[in-house]
Amino acid sequence: MEKKKFEMLAMEYLSGTMGSEERIEFDKFLKTSPEHLQEFNDIHYAWSQIESMETPEPSEEMDSRFYEMLHAQKSKTSEGHKNIGEKIMSVLSGILRPQLAYGLILLCIGLGVGYFMKSNPGIETTTVVNEETEEIRGELVLTLLEQPSANKRLQGVSEANKFKKANDKVIKALLETLNNDPNVNVRLAAIESLTNYLDNPIVREGLVQSIVKQESPIVQVTLADLMVALQEKKSVEPFKKLIRTKELDKSVKEKLETSIHSII
Amino acid sequence: MQALTDNSLMLKVKSGDTDKLGLLYERHKKRLFGFFYNMSGNASLSEDLVQNVFVKILKYKHTFTGEGSFDAWIFKMARNIYYDHFKKYNRKIDVNPLSSIEYKLQDSDDVNAKMDYNDNVVQLRVALGKISQEKREVLVLSKFKEMKFSEIGTILGCSEGAAKVKAHRALKDLKTVFMQMEKI
Repeated sequence: MEKKKFEMLAMEYLSGTMGSEERIEFDKFLKTSPEHLQEFNDIHYAWSQIESMETPEPSEEMDSRFYEMLHAQKSKTSEGHKNIGEKIMSVLSGILRPQLAYGLILLCIGLGVGYFMKSNPGIETTTVVNEETEEIRGELVLTLLEQPSANKRLQGVSEANKFKKANDKVIKALLETLNNDPNVNVRLAAIESLTNYLDNPIVREGLVQSIVKQESPIVQVTLADLMVALQEKKSVEPFKKLIRTKELDKSVKEKLETSIHSII
Repeated sequence: MQALTDNSLMLKVKSGDTDKLGLLYERHKKRLFGFFYNMSGNASLSEDLVQNVFVKILKYKHTFTGEGSFDAWIFKMARNIYYDHFKKYNRKIDVNPLSSIEYKLQDSDDVNAKMDYNDNVVQLRVALGKISQEKREVLVLSKFKEMKFSEIGTILGCSEGAAKVKAHRALKDLKTVFMQMEKI
């Protein structure tokens, strides 16, 4: 067999891209050629070493630096847009002399009439783009909420605040974060984010159910304040249950009792 | 799901929707870090170079056409950044096996297992450091399971067949180095 052909086939074999019939043929060939078999065994050994090579995880600092850079870039872009807007205004102010004003007013009226008279496909396109953006943002939120770094999960919750209308997956992920996240700040941020969707019964029910699962005094107090503000009667029973637990902080206990009283 | 492919996300970044770069970063940061780390053996330098890749993506986003493999595009950029870094600072590329040990020591409990593991890591890193840059990079890229030889060829600027031949010869060199190390 030609040298280059053998080298290519051996790599296909090792990388698992060779078909089963070709593998059988290649095995047969190796049995007939001890020289090629030796070479194959050599590269197989080196390949297995490479395969077992592990790479450490990058640090959280790398993420922070990236998101700082991205944020700075976004600010720069929006400033750029502002500058363009200012430039247009300065050009317009230069040409807005009385003789042009009349013409411009007529043009605006014409455009306005045209806008209302045509069936507007632009709105549909915008809707599709917005839906896509929301979908991508949803993916980003779910990815960020699963990250081991608390900073990243906070970023995920903050992304969730940007939804015009959150989908069920995101709400479920936020409730999951509220109930299970090891970091208090992330749980508090999740409560704040969920308050954007209080008209959704799943969110209200989720918040009520989460009361008994909370061990941090600050989260317990925040939920109590929220329930008082919502006058959520369903929360009374979970609060009573929480008060009965021995480990509860004394001042939190008093706060919960006052809250129950305010709700009833 | 078309809206979520790497190419379509990058096209959105190109059109000014910079937010989408975050998703691309999450998808590719580990493999890019792995590429730089396995090439240089230096974790902090690798993190800097990953950052440089994304800075460069923003700078040259207008050159992205949306055709071909995104992996090939981003790794070609990563490769250029890697070589440019050493050219710019006129540094000799030297794989540092000790850096990888320090990194790994953090999360292992058993001392003996740790020592065995470190021996293997050092042996492999030293061996990789002894083969040429070109051979090391083809092996590092081949290690990524999702990377096809056709993509490796695009990154290295050669055909798919030539990429396979390069990988084969790099493995042969690596085996020779292992044998020399055993004799010492």
